[in-house]
Amino acid sequence: MARHSAASVAALKDRVDDGPGTAPDAVARAIDLTKAYGDADARVVALDHVNVSFTRGEMTAIMGPSGSGKSTLMHCMAGLDTPTSGRVVVEGLEVSSMNQRQLTKLRRTRIGFIFQSFNLVPTLSAEENILLPLQIAKRPIDRVWFDKVVDVTGLRPRLTHRPSQLSGGQQQRVACARAIMARPSVIFADEPTGNLDSRSSREVLGFLKDSVHEYGQTIVMVTHDPRAASYADRVLVLADGRITRDLRHPSYEEILDVFATEGDEDRENGPAQAADAHGAGAGA
Amino acid sequence: MIRIGLRDARAHLPRFVMSIIAIALGVSFVVGSFCFREMMNDQVDQMLGSNTDADVYVRGVAERKDDASAATATGSDGSSSSLKTYNDIDVSLVDDVAKVAGVARAGVTYSTSGTLVLVAKDGNAVSSMGSPTMGIGLEKGTWRSARLEHGRWARNRHEIALHAFAAKTAGLGVGDTTKLVYPSGPEDVKVVGVFDTDVSQAGAIIIGLAPSVAREVVQEKTGEIGVTQYITVYGSADGGGPLNDAQQRELAARVRKALPKGSKATAITGDRLRDEYSRSIKDQLGFIQPLILIFGVIALFVGSFIIANTFSMIVRESMRGYALLRSVGASPAQVFSTVVVQALLLGLVGSGAGIALGWGMVRLIVFGLAQAGTPMTGAATPGPTDMLVGLAVGLAVTLVGAALPARRAATAPPIQAMNETVNPEKPVLPRGVAGVAMVVLGAACWAYCVAVARAGDTGDPTPFAPLNALAERVGAGWPLGAGAALIVVGVIVLSPALVAPAGTVLGWLPAHVFPVTGRLATRNLARQKRRTANTAAALFVGVAIVSCLAVVASSAKASVAGIVDTGLKSDFTAMSASSGRIPDDAVSAIRKTKGVASVSQSRMLMGVTYGSGKDAAQAMTFAEQPSLFSKVFAPVTNAGDADRALKSGELVVGLTVAQDNGWKVGDTVRVNGRRVVVDEEATAKAQADYRAQVEAKTADLTAQAQRLAAAGDADGAQAKADEARRAAEDAANVDPSTLVRTTTETTHVKVRVGAIIENSVYRSMVLMNDDLAERVNNENTMFTIMLFVNARDGADTATVKKRLVKAVKPFYVINVQDRDEFKSSMSTMVDQILIILYALLALSIVIAVFGIVNTLALSVSERTREIGLLRAVGTSRGQVRGMLAIEASLIAVLGTLLGVVVGVAAGAVIRVVYESDGLERLSVPWDQLGAFLVLAVLVGVVAALPPARRALKVPVLDAVSAE
Repeated sequence: MARHSAASVAALKDRVDDGPGTAPDAVARAIDLTKAYGDADARVVALDHVNVSFTRGEMTAIMGPSGSGKSTLMHCMAGLDTPTSGRVVVEGLEVSSMNQRQLTKLRRTRIGFIFQSFNLVPTLSAEENILLPLQIAKRPIDRVWFDKVVDVTGLRPRLTHRPSQLSGGQQQRVACARAIMARPSVIFADEPTGNLDSRSSREVLGFLKDSVHEYGQTIVMVTHDPRAASYADRVLVLADGRITRDLRHPSYEEILDVFATEGDEDRENGPAQAADAHGAGAGA
Repeated sequence: MIRIGLRDARAHLPRFVMSIIAIALGVSFVVGSFCFREMMNDQVDQMLGSNTDADVYVRGVAERKDDASAATATGSDGSSSSLKTYNDIDVSLVDDVAKVAGVARAGVTYSTSGTLVLVAKDGNAVSSMGSPTMGIGLEKGTWRSARLEHGRWARNRHEIALHAFAAKTAGLGVGDTTKLVYPSGPEDVKVVGVFDTDVSQAGAIIIGLAPSVAREVVQEKTGEIGVTQYITVYGSADGGGPLNDAQQRELAARVRKALPKGSKATAITGDRLRDEYSRSIKDQLGFIQPLILIFGVIALFVGSFIIANTFSMIVRESMRGYALLRSVGASPAQVFSTVVVQALLLGLVGSGAGIALGWGMVRLIVFGLAQAGTPMTGAATPGPTDMLVGLAVGLAVTLVGAALPARRAATAPPIQAMNETVNPEKPVLPRGVAGVAMVVLGAACWAYCVAVARAGDTGDPTPFAPLNALAERVGAGWPLGAGAALIVVGVIVLSPALVAPAGTVLGWLPAHVFPVTGRLATRNLARQKRRTANTAAALFVGVAIVSCLAVVASSAKASVAGIVDTGLKSDFTAMSASSGRIPDDAVSAIRKTKGVASVSQSRMLMGVTYGSGKDAAQAMTFAEQPSLFSKVFAPVTNAGDADRALKSGELVVGLTVAQDNGWKVGDTVRVNGRRVVVDEEATAKAQADYRAQVEAKTADLTAQAQRLAAAGDADGAQAKADEARRAAEDAANVDPSTLVRTTTETTHVKVRVGAIIENSVYRSMVLMNDDLAERVNNENTMFTIMLFVNARDGADTATVKKRLVKAVKPFYVINVQDRDEFKSSMSTMVDQILIILYALLALSIVIAVFGIVNTLALSVSERTREIGLLRAVGTSRGQVRGMLAIEASLIAVLGTLLGVVVGVAAGAVIRVVYESDGLERLSVPWDQLGAFLVLAVLVGVVAALPPARRALKVPVLDAVSAE
């Protein structure tokens, strides 16, 4: 397995190094991305020379135990965090060297976010929350698209409600609608179903999957939950700041299987990580 | 636990800075106001001890109703002065008193304030800021506390002694010659002496006149001759020094016994008079302290919720720490104490700083006053009581502010504390209802107050008898104050309920101009209604006071301008800047000025009373030209025909006077006047006596000279002969006027009331034409107060004005004004009040900014994740700043708007109440009030800067992932 993953990483690396022109389907790429915290004495490497490319019109799930660097990868990709070295390119724009103004513009036009919790502005109604990114960016509102998004998410009867009047699943669906409304190049979702019961999770994930297949949306999702990952077209598994697996259309069982073996490896490596992996598995 | 609290306090120090400043400001105002009052009181006591320093005073026994001064201060309901005045006593009592055993000296000290003007060395009139120029008749022994430092006391009209401060201010010294402007005109005077007192005279310019000169000036001004209010008595028991209390009492008793029956006089101790004076002056100065205190209270109010906010933030952020403490076994009381210890520390530091600041403020005021020419020697150091009060207030406010957050920290169950809790707000409706009730009650008070004021002295203000009876007892001032208090408190109580609607209304514009940020800001306001309302309240109270004063000031200006615009027909007016009297020479100089068509003269008749016997009423009486109403001032007639009445020699009575005396048109009134005439017989006798005296002296000297010559001392004889010749020369040169003896005749004339007018300037006056006036008084008891000058048709008024100014220049104090200047001369006074007003405004703004900054800081700290989310979905830094700026501005505008509305309403009510005192027109200074609102927006924008910086300092990632 280890050899297999190393090979696929090498292949990926080759593709990226070919330059933007040769990968027309890549929306976002990380090139030799390293992120380290702390000073020389207590250096923690969260991302260790990661190379990865996210394909347009695909839903990618990033998995891995706590501390594997999956959230850091996503934050760096989304411009929320600055890498120690390496580059992040979204739609041909180098995110890693952007200043605040450029980042704001990037967030307005290219990137959508869905967080685990606290996705909505409490003072705004559901409709206002959905339209928020467009209004902030002073972009015109496509009413036809809005109606479609609202109908697909089933939020029509809830549009005038405030977040405090919505259930957790409804809140996440509003967050999804908001992210899709602006039709960004890529949506980064950080544990979008982390706080939801299984029925709500299915609704949200189903909606995300539909948006990928029907409207060609690109989604990158960080998750602990193998069932959530099974909705993805591609699953990346991170451990210790490196990509260890890159699975294409894996089934739920395949993913569980990966984690079972990962768990074995972890148990050999150290008890702490094993506990984490176990916890993640139990969560699912 | 206490150690944890102290350690926390050190860690939170930067957070506490704003709280400490707020507490320090509040405490400094409290301490400063006490300190300032004590300084003023101390100064008053010192000055009284020095200036009213006799051991015993003899004064009248019957308390006098304030009729004489009522004419000038109507409507003030006695609130302007609590000093009682008594009947005048006869000057001849001095002789009786002087004979009493133990009396070193008895006499009448004539002193006059604001009547004289001293011309400084540089040729300009000496102006003293706020403090009067006083002329006092002084000779050896008349003023124990004054020491002659150089030269001697003045002996005649052309000599003066100057108080050291006056000498310094005027740049004059012994031997210098300058001019002194008497009411009758400027005269050359020589400075013959300089005297000083131990106590500073608060900037007063004191001129020592010869006693006889002072007497003349005083008599001329008051129209009272041969009588005085007080006879001052110095006792000899202590070898010339001030007597102690027992000695004073004993001497007073003896003097009282010596006073003849029927003299209507009694003797009181000096201490008692000083107490009365001091109380009255302190009452008059008393308004300053509450004014400062109001702003102290505002600062402390803001301070207490800044503290509450700060501790809420700290507690919120330390919740996990407290939960940990609780879970390892700390009791709620112990957790409470860790928070309260921090509050105590903060209160101590803030109060300490405040006490120092308050002391510094008073010092600064004293310094400023000294620079402005009003040196104070009163103590300006806070006493232990002031410090304790400041400390107690500071600590109390801090503890009150910190109590709720500390309770929250202590009582939150450990598990709940681990999670982020959002406390739902209590509903604001009950407060809204209570607030509305109070505001309605306050408005009812005001309506009642307006009804009372409208009804005046006649008629009933309301259809309800008990309320009418109340009105008679309490007047209009009391409901005015109660109404204001109710409305201010009511609005504060009500304001949380106002936040949501106000946010919608006020937020309409920003929500449309900035669709997203405006809407977010508007809704954020309503999240913590109480907090928003408290923040706005700080500004509300300050702005309410300021805009109320602004309305009153502006109405005063407009009323004066209204008089000029509608009433005054003449081109120029001339008045004296000092005594009020325009010298006759000045009148003729103005008459002779080229381009002047006519001069109308207003002459005041001194000592005129109406009616007979005990019921005799005093009123300011003026002699006017018959053409007054056609050429100078248009009358606002209440009854009768004013113009015809004046022309036909009837009385034209001001409405207030008519109401006070129950006069109606057609009534016949007895007018009692006074004429001072030369007593030919007495004058002849005085001159004969003087001649005899001089002759006797020369004869004596000549005899001595002859004796010396006979004895062979030729030099001595020569000297004596010279002396004799000089005495004869002196006698020939003596001012004959000093030998003129006058006598007062009383006149009684019955006159018909011809008209009643209600121009505010004439409201408390009685007018008659010159012919009638000549029958009542004579030129010795009538003085020109004001001139109305009309320019010749077609003459250039600017040129005429220049000529007039030149014509009156030698008289120093005559002020010629054209119509606009006449308007603005009143406005300048009002403008000076406005300066104080703007200082207060600035103060309340500074305090309010603190409040807004703090509230927003707390709000930002609570909304860290929300702001992070906004940033993550593409909100730019500018938009976040804009959102906070709009929030802050809305808070500021809400407070300002409430303040402006309440202030304007209060101003309008005050205007109605004082309508009869000349506030005839309501003028709302919309431009100023508009400026307040613009300022409020700016204040908001500025106040939003620090919290915005703090909000943006948090990286988006930290903000969104903060859990």
